Amino acid sequence: MAALIAQRLVQALIVLVVVSVLAFVLSTQIGDPVASILGLQATPADRLELRTRLGLDEPWPVQYFAFLRRVLTGELGVSYITQIPVAELIVTRLPATLELAGVALLLSLGLGLPIGIYAAVNRGHWSADAVLALSVVGVSIPTFVIAILLIFVFSVTLGWLPSFGRGQVVQVGWWSTGLLTDSGRRALLMPALALAISQVALVARLVRAEMLQVLRTDYIRFARARGIAPRVITLSLALRNTLIPVITVSGIQLGFLFAFAVVAEAVFQWPGIGLLFLQALGSTDVPVISAILLLTAAFFVAVNLVIDLLYALVDPRLRSGGMTGRADRA
Amino acid sequence: MIRRTLMGAAAVLALSLGSAGAESLRFAGATPALTMDPHATNDFTTTAIFRQVYDSLVGLDLEMELVPALADNWEYIGDATWRFTVREGVKFHDGSDLTAGDVAFSIMRQKDSRFYRSLFGSITEANVVDDRIVEVVSSAPDPILPRKMSRMFILSQSWAEENDAVEIPDLGAEGAEAYSIRNAMGTGPMQLVSHDPAGETHLTAFDDYWGDRPGNLTEATYLTIGLGPTRVAALLSGEIDLVVDTPLQDIDRIETSPDFSISETAQLLWMQLELDGTRDQALETFDRDGNVLDDNPFRDIRVRQAIAHAVDAEAIVDRVMRGHARVVGIASIPGFGGYQEDMDSRWETDLDRARELLAEAGYADGFVTTMNCPLERYVNTDDICRAAASMLARVGIDVRINGMVWPEFARMLVNGPDSSFHLIGMSPDSRDTQDAFTGYIMTRDPDANEGFFNWALFTDEEIDEKTRTLTETFDENERDELYRDLIERAKEQVNAVYLHQPAIVWAMREGVEAPIRADATVTLQNVTVR
Repeated sequence: MAALIAQRLVQALIVLVVVSVLAFVLSTQIGDPVASILGLQATPADRLELRTRLGLDEPWPVQYFAFLRRVLTGELGVSYITQIPVAELIVTRLPATLELAGVALLLSLGLGLPIGIYAAVNRGHWSADAVLALSVVGVSIPTFVIAILLIFVFSVTLGWLPSFGRGQVVQVGWWSTGLLTDSGRRALLMPALALAISQVALVARLVRAEMLQVLRTDYIRFARARGIAPRVITLSLALRNTLIPVITVSGIQLGFLFAFAVVAEAVFQWPGIGLLFLQALGSTDVPVISAILLLTAAFFVAVNLVIDLLYALVDPRLRSGGMTGRADRA
Repeated sequence: MIRRTLMGAAAVLALSLGSAGAESLRFAGATPALTMDPHATNDFTTTAIFRQVYDSLVGLDLEMELVPALADNWEYIGDATWRFTVREGVKFHDGSDLTAGDVAFSIMRQKDSRFYRSLFGSITEANVVDDRIVEVVSSAPDPILPRKMSRMFILSQSWAEENDAVEIPDLGAEGAEAYSIRNAMGTGPMQLVSHDPAGETHLTAFDDYWGDRPGNLTEATYLTIGLGPTRVAALLSGEIDLVVDTPLQDIDRIETSPDFSISETAQLLWMQLELDGTRDQALETFDRDGNVLDDNPFRDIRVRQAIAHAVDAEAIVDRVMRGHARVVGIASIPGFGGYQEDMDSRWETDLDRARELLAEAGYADGFVTTMNCPLERYVNTDDICRAAASMLARVGIDVRINGMVWPEFARMLVNGPDSSFHLIGMSPDSRDTQDAFTGYIMTRDPDANEGFFNWALFTDEEIDEKTRTLTETFDENERDELYRDLIERAKEQVNAVYLHQPAIVWAMREGVEAPIRADATVTLQNVTVR
């Protein structure tokens, strides 16, 4: 187990270094921060002075190591545009994105699991095909379009749900949550749904495929032969074994939902990391861009690490045998 | 944060009760207010918001004409010096009195800002003569300084000193955030309650405001909603009262609804195509066979005129801008000092004439070139560029469009300028025609502060000389004559192909009366809600 953790940590570190280089190079390529900050107004002398002070006149490897040193000492710098420390910007925005991604994950599982089970148990029946087809329609419509449709129906036409923002939030320590107020929960519903819909088909298809496989195994046949009720077989015996790959995929999904929340955040003006990233991108706010890219990478890596460990816990065969089992399945 | 939550709760409560006593406005725009420090940015949206909290030294009425504000009088006293008399009885939001010291302090603070070099860079001193008099000295006589002072924002000196905000917050500085970014101490009609650069800015009416308050607002919230459809949806569903950046395609829909109204006026900005006036060889320009042209067609006056005759600005306004723009015929717009209404008519669209001119210039077969096109920042630029390109194709000039996001486009200009042909918006800072010439049309020489924004390197000696004379002339009649000569000459030489002035379009629910102003400021003291 310790070897496994060590192995995964080394891999995680490599990924982070690669991403940090990419993040850095990308953010120096998308525009000139000095031109973005000062606009067209400032004098050449002003530009030069600022360029020197921000260290932008150095060759990029030098800039990169300076950047790395700052990151390692926890100093993420100050946003060029709003002049607020990047760490603070991220800390105030993070809860919004995590709540959104978390609820979206729950919604996608909540919808995907029953659909998958239903489709597996009623295999061949037209209703199972219809439900699956419907979930594919969900994945085919871009999140952007779904979000606008939701707003049009539930905000403009029916007037039930707010079209933007987080509603009323409550501060719990440094964490701001919208889950504790009615207005916060209502504001969360549409963005989370818009984000979840694209994932429902994935979960449903996965659950269906796994379930079909499990239903063919010997122990299920024995259970049937012993006369155990079909409902118990499906929901208690078969489902448990189906869940292992679902856990893996959910983890990856959470990473995706976190990263792709950017679309839902843009449409619903959800004050999270994604929106912050978009605004930073538009104004070449390099410290913010690099910090968010790194954070996202770290999040992906952490989620994967946790999944691997969970996996080892759930499936005893993996504890000693390295990671081969997982590679086969995924 | 807790206060913000309570405010939010209060706002919701007020909304649901139909509000007794508290008249509040929730208004939204596409971009956030970045900072509350009035000297730390010149961003358009941000200025429109902090203008509620900080008064400018010289005021602007709803028609953008200069009116007394914190200075109730100003006069030129010779020696490149203007004397401003500070209004009596003006209070800051903390109850302290406005003094000449605060004014002088603010002038010296703002003039050092990198964002205001072109406006205030020539100010050398601000001297407190007595309690009410401040004398402002420039490095050269400046006839339009009072107009520039409509963008000079006054803050409290003692407040700045107490909160370590004497210096403008420095970019790239490590460590703590400057106090003035989220706090403010001005004399304006509204008082800052809280400001979150990411989201909302809350304001309440300041009871001891020195000026008139024809409206009935007691509080206001500015929100950012980046995406057009969501912004409109928020208005239509009643979550907000006023939208300041209305997407063009939604205007008709909103206008036809009895529950909403539209208000629009021309923005203090005009779009134009700029043509390389200096290089011996134009960049990215080829003959029909794809060989690099060994001269610069844009430097030929006949080619410039041909382009002016070929690009139909009216068609662009009608189709691309859906009528929400005004055709521009000269290098000045209404509301600017020195604007000449009787001269404002654009070159006629005349394709035959354009072809003739091109043939005379030796380009009977036309040529192939590249137009650099900024994809953001201005309305519908993508479509404007494409429309202009297709119009030029009709006279034999094949234009390839090089679309760029704004940071990339800005980099091309400030680090070069490396463009021989581009679309850009022009918005002279001081809102005087003089500034259009000193900043955008004179031969480019950044060190002399001439032609700073002349990105296409247009050059004309007569214009340079007359502009220099204009900047030193105080006599109104003489100035008028110079304005007219300059405008005439620039148009004849086609310093740029003027296109249009986009409109600012506000959409509001029934019951909201907000008079529109061309600098896009919602003057909250004039807003009435029912």
